[in-house]
Amino acid sequence: MLALSLTRLIAQRFRLVSTSISVFIGIAFLAGSMVLIDTLGASFDELATDINEGVDVVVRSSELVESGFAQVRGQLDESVLATVEGIDGVAEAQPNIEGYAQLVDAQGEAVGNPGQGAPTIGVNWSDSDVLNQVTVAEGQAPRKPDEVVIDRYTAEANGFAVGDTVTVLLKVPPEEFTITGIGTFGESDSLMGASLVMFDFTTAQRVLGSPGMISSVSVAAVPGVSQEELRDRITAQLPIRTEALTGADSVAELQGDISEALSFFNTFMTIFALIALFVAAFIIYNTFSILVAQRTKETALLRALGAGRRQVIGSVLFEAVLMGIIASAAGIVAGIGVAELLKRLLGTVGLEIPGSNVVFEASTAYNALIAGVAITAVSAVIPALRASRTSPLAALREASVDDSALSRSRMVFGFLTLAVCGAMLMAGLFADISNRLMFVGLGAAGIFIGVAAWGPIVARPFARIVGAPLARLRGLPGELAQENGMRNPRRTATTAAALMIGVGLVSAISIFAASTTRTVDKIIDDTVVGDLVIESGSQGFGGLSPVLAEEVSALPEVALASGVRIALTEVDGEGQTLLAFETVDMGDLVDVGIVAGDPATLGVDGLAVLDTEAEDRGWALGSEVTLDFVQTGRQAFEVGLIYTEDALVGPMFISNDAYEANSTEIFDMSVYVLANDSYTTDQFRTAVEAAAAPYPNAEVMDLGELKASISAQVDQMLTLVYALLALAVIIALIGIANTIALSTVERTREIGLLRAVGMTRPQLRASVRWESFLIALLGTTMGLTLGLFFGWSMVEALRDEGITELAIPLPQIGVVAVLAAGAGVIASLRPAAKAARLPILDAVASG
Amino acid sequence: MAEATTQSQLTEEMEELSVSSPDSGASVLAEAVARVEGVTKVYGAGATKVTALDDVTVEFQRGQMTAIMGPSGSGKSTLLHCLAGLDTVTSGRIVVADADISTMSDKELTVLRRDRIGFVFQSFNLIPTLTAERNITLQRRLGRHGVDSDWFDKVVDILEIRERLDHRPSELSGGQQQRVAVARALISKPEMIIADEPTGNLDQASGREVLSFLRRAVNEYGQTVVIVTHDAAAASYADRVIFLADGQVVGELQHPTTAQIFERLQELEK
Ligand SMILES: Nc1ncnc2c1ncn2[C@@H]1O[C@H](COP(=O)(O)OP(=O)(O)O)[C@@H](O)[C@H]1O
Ligand SMILES: [Mg+2]
Repeated sequence: MLALSLTRLIAQRFRLVSTSISVFIGIAFLAGSMVLIDTLGASFDELATDINEGVDVVVRSSELVESGFAQVRGQLDESVLATVEGIDGVAEAQPNIEGYAQLVDAQGEAVGNPGQGAPTIGVNWSDSDVLNQVTVAEGQAPRKPDEVVIDRYTAEANGFAVGDTVTVLLKVPPEEFTITGIGTFGESDSLMGASLVMFDFTTAQRVLGSPGMISSVSVAAVPGVSQEELRDRITAQLPIRTEALTGADSVAELQGDISEALSFFNTFMTIFALIALFVAAFIIYNTFSILVAQRTKETALLRALGAGRRQVIGSVLFEAVLMGIIASAAGIVAGIGVAELLKRLLGTVGLEIPGSNVVFEASTAYNALIAGVAITAVSAVIPALRASRTSPLAALREASVDDSALSRSRMVFGFLTLAVCGAMLMAGLFADISNRLMFVGLGAAGIFIGVAAWGPIVARPFARIVGAPLARLRGLPGELAQENGMRNPRRTATTAAALMIGVGLVSAISIFAASTTRTVDKIIDDTVVGDLVIESGSQGFGGLSPVLAEEVSALPEVALASGVRIALTEVDGEGQTLLAFETVDMGDLVDVGIVAGDPATLGVDGLAVLDTEAEDRGWALGSEVTLDFVQTGRQAFEVGLIYTEDALVGPMFISNDAYEANSTEIFDMSVYVLANDSYTTDQFRTAVEAAAAPYPNAEVMDLGELKASISAQVDQMLTLVYALLALAVIIALIGIANTIALSTVERTREIGLLRAVGMTRPQLRASVRWESFLIALLGTTMGLTLGLFFGWSMVEALRDEGITELAIPLPQIGVVAVLAAGAGVIASLRPAAKAARLPILDAVASG
Repeated sequence: MAEATTQSQLTEEMEELSVSSPDSGASVLAEAVARVEGVTKVYGAGATKVTALDDVTVEFQRGQMTAIMGPSGSGKSTLLHCLAGLDTVTSGRIVVADADISTMSDKELTVLRRDRIGFVFQSFNLIPTLTAERNITLQRRLGRHGVDSDWFDKVVDILEIRERLDHRPSELSGGQQQRVAVARALISKPEMIIADEPTGNLDQASGREVLSFLRRAVNEYGQTVVIVTHDAAAASYADRVIFLADGQVVGELQHPTTAQIFERLQELEK
């Protein structure tokens, strides 16, 4: 029996190759992202080690606030340096200052985008040979307040050279510096694509940190003193809210943070790989179903000759496993190429990964292999069972009838799957449970399977109804396409189902994105009273110097300007991101629906709270609340404002005065500006733009432009997701081509007859094309239906998270539908051309 | 019972037709529908080279039924295929209705097969997904030509398949399937109906039925028919029998009797 499987596999290799491609693509992507993650991980780990080279102990603030992915650590008083230097066993100690510094290129554009890409970092230059890992490759170290060294990657990418004057964006207004040197990091030109600007210590303190403050101290031990020993000695001498950790611990901590961030990325990529493999599973299932049906006579003969059911199952599964192994192995090899490609792609968006080699772990090989083989084998189980039920007498009968449209067990299975998985999806979306993502994923996958199970039941009426105008308009080729579409409803439906998944996800995502955009539009319409917004594009790291808001505020054309900042605090011991505003005249800029209190009186210790949030926490106007800031520690605040509209400002906010009292990192994320009515809109805007001109990272937008820019950001994300989902659609199209090719083989004789009695080649091709079109249209229709449902439920589920508007982007969905159905036609071109070229007499004689 | 009666009647009818054939043959002797002129067909090359037709020259008269006989492998099918534009000749030419088909493109040949030739294979003549009716009108619709409903009615009545029009091929007996195939061949009133052992897969009674319909088409509607058959009795209903052996025409009989044909075949076998 095994020999037979092998023989078949070899005989039908061409049919199986196209099936294997679906597994191959999925596995290549899966392995590719695993390799990429490992490569990234290894590079970052190495980087973490490299930049801590020679560091035996790190002294830093013990104050840390985390919320979501963001975290801030407090600053240290620079007097710590002297304390540390005086400790026995310290060979050398180096103060570190770190902050936001963004270069401006020759065209006046800000370099990099800290909100989305690699960070734009400024640090102090240190002369220590032991502790400073940056080597000046060209020129010399910064000696004067107006001198800087920048990294070679950024220099080369933007055409900076030693001796150039460069503008740098900082927490203070932009300043000009002379580049005195170009730096490298060991072997590497870049810190993973981050841009690095190095200032002398005093300048760094002024433009990056705060006077008298430093971020941390790196310490080198004298020979013979261990890291632990030194750490303990230092710890004993440290002031409060300060901690010391060994260099090794610091590296480990950094690596831990990196691997956490990467695991998120990993999950993201894996989800798309799994979607691709899920689609591939449909293709494999379908191909094996077709092959098993085509081999009915052969199987029946084997059964008649005494082959047991188990042997039949075994032979089909063996074939599947073999195919899975070959396809996965090839996919794993290709995955290395995919990783290389993705790595380059990351490089082009500024995430430069040093080192030329990708990291290929053994675990990648076996995980991908297991995934590929499991998917293939599991998908072939039902066809194998079906084959094993072939009666020995089937050899004598004509080809089996596809009666799956009537199958009761299919209807029951479909119904149960839909019910159970629908419930899982709803639970994942709406119920308060853990593992929600998993519930949503499994629920959605199950719904796809349930709908696919029902597919054959709808395939026949669908082909009849949709095919009817085709038959009328396109004549006989249309009619044959219609009949062929109805002929094997199971085949038609399963092929369509593969496409349904891609189309469903794409349309759901597009609904979600459109709803997000519309919600944002509505928020801006409802809450922003101001006329212009100056955006920095930073998401809390760096941003606009607060001086800009002051300058704009002082313009005669401007009635009011308020910077918006992001603060990280702990409220009742829990990390909380909150916004800060110029609250004095806040009501003129944003409408938050004030219920009680007055924003003007918030001052340095007033907290504004959303009504429902206050209710949940049992707060009322005047309640005492403790906020914990990294810089100032626990601070007593009082609830001074209760409001109802959280869409723009979140569940809590404070005044800029309170922010400044508790933070040294003072940047405006954006500035809201209200016009002075005595000037024209043009005068107003011109004045604001002139004020913002020296800040290349500031973008002046009216509310319409603001909406457009947000929707452009959403679209950018959408493009990425579409690109990843395209994988699933491509696999589905391969599936369509595959089914059409297999069907054509099955109908060779018929095709010969049609040609013999006078069907022209174009007519034959048209008939194949239209059949494919029907399949694709069925898949698209099912996909859109499910997509609408998924999109709607996603938006409903996120209503509490702020997505309040449901938008169905009909033009986009229309484009998706046309593309998918059109691509179905394109997928059939090759098999159609092949069918049209069949030699007539050979075809008639086959059979 | 009814079945039996019909069959015996048919047999009688066939005898009659065969007797009356000399007249119908004489009336159209003048015009040739198709001429095969010095046609040679070679398959393969080198060691595997097979000369299926070796300088064959033969004419087919309008309104006649011509039977082609010969041992297996003598080139009968090849001749029909070339004549029907399903295959190309190696040398020589074939003229059908004054058009030289040996120089036609695939597209022209396709249109020729669709509009001017009715072909009936030994089996598998029908598209399984289409009903009998749609199979009959297949060629007309491929050409986007209308179907003459009077003629359609006549054809389905003659072939006695009216009851079966809504059935798919899998629901028809072999004989019914071949009758539907004949109906399809007839429906576009082609220059020639070409049938390669159309009864080869049928029992004798069904086979004779199909042949009698073809004969009627010749007699009543002046249809030209060329068939290949192994059955001497069946061939005796033809106006003319052409004998092939080793790709060459080796004899011909006009209005032969079954016995004459049988005798000639016996000679050929030797
Ligand atoms: N496609 C082909 N390729 C090679 N040889 C062929 C082909 N078709 C027919 N032949 C050969 O040509 C000869 C005539 O075949 P055919 O016309 O089918 O004979 P008949 O129909 O009289 O039995 C035979 O020797 C046959 O083997
Ligand atoms: Mg033959």
